[in-house]
Amino acid sequence: MMMAVTLLAIITLVFGMLRLAPGGPFDGERDLPPEIEANLKAAYHLDEPIVSQYFRYLGNLIQGDLGPSFRHQDFRVNELIAAGLPTSALLGTLSLLLALSLGLSLGVFGGMNPGSTLDNALMGFANLSIAAPTIITAPLMVLVFSIFLSWFPAGGDGGLMHYILPSMALALPFAGAIARLVRAGVIECRLEPYIVTARAKGLPERRIVYRHILPIAILPVLSFLGPMAAALLTGSIVIEQVFDLPGIGRYFVQAALNRDYTLVMGMVLVYSTLIVLFNFLVDLAYAWLDPRLKGA
Amino acid sequence: MFSCFKGLNAFLYQIGLGLVLLAIALNASSDVLHLGNDGEPSTLDPHRYNLRLEETLLNDLFMGLTTFTAAGQIAPGAAESWTQSEDGKTWTFKLRTDGRWSDGEPVTASDFVYSMRRLLTPSTAASLAYFLYMIENAEAINRGELPPEALGVTAEDPLTLRIRLAYPYPYLLERLLYPTAFPVPRHVIERVGKAWTKAEHWVSNGAYKLAEWRPQAYVEMVANPFFHAPAPIKTVRHHALASEQSGYNRFRSGELAAIPSFPASELTNMQQDRPKELRLAPLLSIMYLVFNTQKPPFHDPRVRKALGLVIQQQTITQRVLRNGSQPSLSITPSLIRDYQPVPLPHADLSQANRVGKARDLLAQAGYNQDHPLRVTLKHVNSLEGKKINLAIAAMWRQLGVETTLAQSELRAHFADLRQGSFEVAWAGWVGENNPEHYLSLLRSDIGNVNYGRYRNSAFDDRMAAARRQADATSRGELLRQAEQIMVADYPVVPLYMLASRRLVNASLQGWQDNVRNMHQSRYLFWSDAP
Repeated sequence: MMMAVTLLAIITLVFGMLRLAPGGPFDGERDLPPEIEANLKAAYHLDEPIVSQYFRYLGNLIQGDLGPSFRHQDFRVNELIAAGLPTSALLGTLSLLLALSLGLSLGVFGGMNPGSTLDNALMGFANLSIAAPTIITAPLMVLVFSIFLSWFPAGGDGGLMHYILPSMALALPFAGAIARLVRAGVIECRLEPYIVTARAKGLPERRIVYRHILPIAILPVLSFLGPMAAALLTGSIVIEQVFDLPGIGRYFVQAALNRDYTLVMGMVLVYSTLIVLFNFLVDLAYAWLDPRLKGA
Repeated sequence: MFSCFKGLNAFLYQIGLGLVLLAIALNASSDVLHLGNDGEPSTLDPHRYNLRLEETLLNDLFMGLTTFTAAGQIAPGAAESWTQSEDGKTWTFKLRTDGRWSDGEPVTASDFVYSMRRLLTPSTAASLAYFLYMIENAEAINRGELPPEALGVTAEDPLTLRIRLAYPYPYLLERLLYPTAFPVPRHVIERVGKAWTKAEHWVSNGAYKLAEWRPQAYVEMVANPFFHAPAPIKTVRHHALASEQSGYNRFRSGELAAIPSFPASELTNMQQDRPKELRLAPLLSIMYLVFNTQKPPFHDPRVRKALGLVIQQQTITQRVLRNGSQPSLSITPSLIRDYQPVPLPHADLSQANRVGKARDLLAQAGYNQDHPLRVTLKHVNSLEGKKINLAIAAMWRQLGVETTLAQSELRAHFADLRQGSFEVAWAGWVGENNPEHYLSLLRSDIGNVNYGRYRNSAFDDRMAAARRQADATSRGELLRQAEQIMVADYPVVPLYMLASRRLVNASLQGWQDNVRNMHQSRYLFWSDAP
């Protein structure tokens, strides 16, 4: 219920903001004769009062129809999202897995050996990967791995090979951030009395790390994970742009620039639904990892 | 430690080698021509198209009455011959006897009648419907004032098409090259409606037919088995490039055989490293500055002339842009066939004389050091736009003019121009191979595409007289007179003509640079040498 209200508020807000933006979907470099503009507007119901446009949109939405795209005239918004979402989701899932595995292992290692040379080196790397924007690292990776070494394709979608470079580029800053969070959590946790107790009982180190330290040390990562997963799964504008991946990330910017009203609305809906959903999942995961939160 | 790294190296090397072999295997197994296209098409319905990148695809899929050769010259297409009446108002086209749709159905004159009526029917909402407004009753039909059946296009017999024009139009054969005049498959559209552009229903009469369309990824086409001249390359995949840079990367990694452009900053590198693959060609186009002639002080021709005098077109192209663009001193591009453009009146003056004269003009208009002229110059927010803006502001500074720079996003920019909310602005036009196309932008009855609201009845009269003239030579002469009258008023300052910069794999043959910057895949073939 709460979710439906949130989404309705978002739809109304975005719908209003879009109509306030200067220019319209049919503005181009060339001028349209008035009769042609009238024909176009009639075809998309833009000649109706804005209130009836709003209710027409809501009515279609309830039936699961996001409407025709203004810019991609041969597709409906549903078709565009259905075609692009798997690409973005695959890229996002791979990056998420990569970021988590890399971030967790680096973080645990660093947290267990704080101050060691390797820890310093790894944290330096983590900081660097957070600081370097993907708009720099992604083209660099293309230059090295696609153009000089010819290991990976430079762009497009032609199977799993096309996803390796993009997901690495996308995962790096997230991996760095996770590594730092986990490392801090581990260092803090390592000296807690219950860990000292566990150690005193003679539990093997592996068990201490995985059963006692990690579940607590990972909590800060979790709150970061909800929005991160939503952002990764709905595609990265920069990465899709650099690697020519046909995901939905690019629609965010393009649709807004093209005043493609229905596509912007569709994208906002997908994104906000995912954010609301992932935040809910994160709350569930919290309770599962930290039994103290169960009652709350 | 050392040995560990050595092992790692060998490991990485093996992975790399494996991947290379895999890539080679994948490439060898497919006989597909991979081409880069400027972006994602909005539609593959030729009557709804709007963009050049769509034109590229539609030229492969459809065949109009006329078409163009690899060198860009007009040639017979679906029509094998044509005749024109004495008054230039009736054209008769004889269709090819072997014209076929990709499902084997014959292409008939009534297909063209249906298609042109469809283009002009208001509910089609064709944004370029005005391309065929020279046909009798076309404009009234598009306004909804007459039924589509009133259009001056008739099928005399299955292979004879007659087009009656509202006024003589000697450039008709060229106008028919555009997708707006392409035939669409009536027998499919009447059956499946709007879904006819989906691959599963696709039928067209060009060298290729649609096989698959993945939004934002590619449009794949396969040779039309019924086309009269089978294309050497059977499968073509037009990739929608997200940016110049990604296309450039994919060309360099060998994934694409040709790309429509690449970052201008790489031009010098390409000239040195890949001269055989670089295709730098002038493009029929004009970029210009437009003055808002309704807004003081730009209603004063002396102010416009002063500002126009000190702009150095050569400096802008050679020193600022350096992207292959050519300076232009006339609003009609010098590339136009059979026409001698009229340059700005000051073209022969020396640079020093120009500045002196400009100062005098500004002084006469009442501007001096104590009372400087203030100008807001508008441009589209691109890197090139910013560079040009700064250069022009510097050129004006030598007259004591204070320039404020304003940039906005492309759509907002042109919306402002149409509404006349600007003082001086950059504008551009990529167009056809006839002078009228460019000069019409300054007709007072053309609507708000005459951004500066320029109005000169002597110019308008000559333009109207030209429109009544069927003979191309006398029409050209009238247009020249009109241009002569207009340039003296400085409503616009021409800046430069664009250049197309493409990269084309050296083994891909049949690719000829042309001023249209349009190419059809059916002319391409791989040379035997690897």
